[in-house]
Amino acid sequence: MARSTAVEIKNISVCFDGFWALTDVNINVKRNTIHFFIGPNGAGKTTLLDIICAKTKPTKGSVFYYPENSDGIKLTGMKEYKIVMEGVGRKFQVPSVFVNLSVMDNMILSLKGHKGVLESIFYKPSKQELMLIDETLEKVDLLDRKNVIAGSLAHGEKQWLEIAMQLVQKPQVIMLDEPAAGMGKPETFKTGEILKEIKKECTVIVVEHDMDFVKQVSDRVTVLHEGKVLMEGTCDEALSNETVQAVYLGRGGERDA
Amino acid sequence: MTLVNTLFNGLSLSSIILLTSLGLAITFGLMRVINMAHGEFLMIGAYMTYVVQELFSKFFPEQIQSAYYFAAIIVSFAVTFALGCIMEKFIVSRLYGREIDSLLATWGISLILQQAARSIFGTQGVNVNAPSFLQGGLNIGSCTFSYNRMFIIGITIFCMLIIWAVMYKMNFGRQMRAVMQNRPMAQCMGINSKKVDMITFALGSGLAGIAGCSVALLGSIDSTVGQSYIVNSFIAVVLGGVGSLTGTVLGSGIIGFASIIFEKYTSSSIAKAVVLLIIIVVLQFRPNGLFTIRSRSLDE
Amino acid sequence: MKGIKKQGNNITFSVIVIILALIPLFYSMGVISSTSTIMFLGKCIAFSIAAIGLDLIWGYTGILSLGHGLYFALGGYAMAMYLKLQATGGKITEFMHTGGLTELPMVWRPFTSLPASLIMMILVPAAVAGIIGYFIFKNRVKGVYFSIISQALTWAAYSVFIALSPYTNGNVGISEIKSVFGSIKGDANLGNLYLLFYIALAIMVVIYALSYILVQTKFGKLLVAIRDGENRTYFSGYCVSRYKNVIYIISAVFAAVAGALFVNFNGSITPSQMTISYSITMVIWVAVGGRGTLVGAVIGAFFINLCEYNLSSGELVNIWQYIIGAIFTVTILFFKGGIVGVVRDNIPSLLSKRKGVSR
Repeated sequence: MARSTAVEIKNISVCFDGFWALTDVNINVKRNTIHFFIGPNGAGKTTLLDIICAKTKPTKGSVFYYPENSDGIKLTGMKEYKIVMEGVGRKFQVPSVFVNLSVMDNMILSLKGHKGVLESIFYKPSKQELMLIDETLEKVDLLDRKNVIAGSLAHGEKQWLEIAMQLVQKPQVIMLDEPAAGMGKPETFKTGEILKEIKKECTVIVVEHDMDFVKQVSDRVTVLHEGKVLMEGTCDEALSNETVQAVYLGRGGERDA
Repeated sequence: MTLVNTLFNGLSLSSIILLTSLGLAITFGLMRVINMAHGEFLMIGAYMTYVVQELFSKFFPEQIQSAYYFAAIIVSFAVTFALGCIMEKFIVSRLYGREIDSLLATWGISLILQQAARSIFGTQGVNVNAPSFLQGGLNIGSCTFSYNRMFIIGITIFCMLIIWAVMYKMNFGRQMRAVMQNRPMAQCMGINSKKVDMITFALGSGLAGIAGCSVALLGSIDSTVGQSYIVNSFIAVVLGGVGSLTGTVLGSGIIGFASIIFEKYTSSSIAKAVVLLIIIVVLQFRPNGLFTIRSRSLDE
Repeated sequence: MKGIKKQGNNITFSVIVIILALIPLFYSMGVISSTSTIMFLGKCIAFSIAAIGLDLIWGYTGILSLGHGLYFALGGYAMAMYLKLQATGGKITEFMHTGGLTELPMVWRPFTSLPASLIMMILVPAAVAGIIGYFIFKNRVKGVYFSIISQALTWAAYSVFIALSPYTNGNVGISEIKSVFGSIKGDANLGNLYLLFYIALAIMVVIYALSYILVQTKFGKLLVAIRDGENRTYFSGYCVSRYKNVIYIISAVFAAVAGALFVNFNGSITPSQMTISYSITMVIWVAVGGRGTLVGAVIGAFFINLCEYNLSSGELVNIWQYIIGAIFTVTILFFKGGIVGVVRDNIPSLLSKRKGVSR
């Protein structure tokens, strides 16, 4: 396997009570790219993310992860928190931050390392870590809201916070499920610019409906339809592909498509 | 034939557990309300049986005394059904989606109902005389099949059939399942979800009443009678898989037969403990019970 | 002003401790009429400790245990077994005779010495909680499933305790014992009572302080994080089950310490402390006082038990059950924050109204 691959999805199939949500999916995600999974509702995009981060067990197949300077790791069968410790982060579709903790505490909990029980009792964040948190919060415009309880943030701000929480973990692969949902055009654009910046240091996998956003930042696009890979290529290739158009238009009602 | 006797005892105990669990299978399984006062509804059903018996012996001639039991079943159901309505309206309706809080709030009600029973009937247990047609038993060879245990098995099957018919054959059942699966959606379809909630909860409570009426045949009734059944009932529902009626039947069967089998080798309280421990171990491997639906929903 | 608000809970706790510390003074002044009231307050201190433990696991971590009576009783029995052997002079007890035993059973042997008993008092509940927690949390049993299972476990333990009556004296429990410092009954033994009382008070302060520090650490924040979003916590890279298990053990040990203190004041222990309803009673203390605040647990334990103490004598005994049932249901339905929550939400606005400052 070439070292340019960060995540390899191999022959993944998953069955929910007789319904095949994914059948025989094969995708290679290249290092330091922004890779989009797009497709109509029910195509299996979120399920695919769930499988990579071990929220869902696949019926068949496995997922491999190739960290930058060490051997490949089989993610399938690993516990989700271990996957996170290996450097694969995930942001959920519904903003899920810790609503009763301050923005700062949310960030501290997300820092890389120090995940053990004993450590957590005696742990104090170092100067560098505090600086890193400040820098990251600055990026997403939340620095002045550092001491606010996260539950009182607006929907868009929670999205930003969750992205910031992923960034501060310094992941090698970061998965974002609809990062632009609930954001206006300017914010979406800004999210895109942040993604472009972070892909220098890590690989980004995004599930998104907003095609403008896809056009803005995508390096590679995989179109899923009814649990199968319909095509893979650049954004323009995907948009000009006739089957893809048929799938989207045929289904109708798909926003922005 | 000890084997036949064991089987019969197992079947009998299973049916009792099942009968006390059926109501829970509805309120807990379908509605996701943990009604800790369920055992007290059972107690009320048992006390109602006693009350009806006393009334009959006062006001009705000797010949129809035995008929009291049928009246008692109806009265038990009606009273607990009505109490269920009231409780749904004032307490449970505020707690949908808050499982743990529903458990705690209904525990308060359970304390109140227990004390009410003590205030009205005293702390001494009262006894119900089995109607004449349920006294004694059928002797086949060396085996004895007591009539009241056979009768309870019958009632359990009858209740099962009723629930099955209501849920799957009647329009109300369809509405009920719709509301429990997706309340806002059902409302949009023009279903009066408040009414459905209330009747569903009341139905579960009414079943506890009938169960109480049956367990009244088995021993003396006091304010704690509900508590002695409730733990097994909850475990039966959880073991079977919350939300699955078939699962509850299976769960009750497992607990019932296992208890009878272990009781042969040790005392009944140790047997109870051992069975519970085994079930807890089983639940470690199937945390969602034996009958589960693997779903795509993100929140379990 | 801001400092007072921030430290309000600790200040309230300090006030409670100071009032309790002055109890001997109140007794000599005649405000408190009998030593049994002091013993009762000692029990309340024990209850507060159990409540703090329960609050850590329920209020902070969101795991509702309906089985903490088990740990309370395990601690209580460990202490009672030691005290019983003190009373018999290390010899076999009467109920063992009745149960057909001829010599002191193995399980009772360690309880001839105080240090060994204290170690057992901590170790046994910690081990039980550790084993149960390890499997239950590792297999992601959570929410009401955990509550129902903890309830069933308690029930099973209760049945076993009763069944093993040659070792535990069944339903009757262990009675006719004095405290660690000898008898505490009557004015002649007032010194012993005060000594015990102050030691209990000191233990409560230590446990409160430890818990307070604990919830301020990252560990404490993680407990809240687990309560608010368990999956999110897993996906932040934490082995949530391990955290849950640790806090479960801590709270079980607190309950055991509480049980041991309780036995000293109460002079007996019965399996009724192990029942489901006793376990839920502990939850009532926390809920009414205010879950998620340590001082709330203490206030709740004192409030409910003081009410019960004053109401459940004489004719009101029947009404008490109605009152506690109603208080509990109403608290859960309308006052999620309990007493502390109500005070916290209303005091600031009252203060600002008086000063005419808009907030």
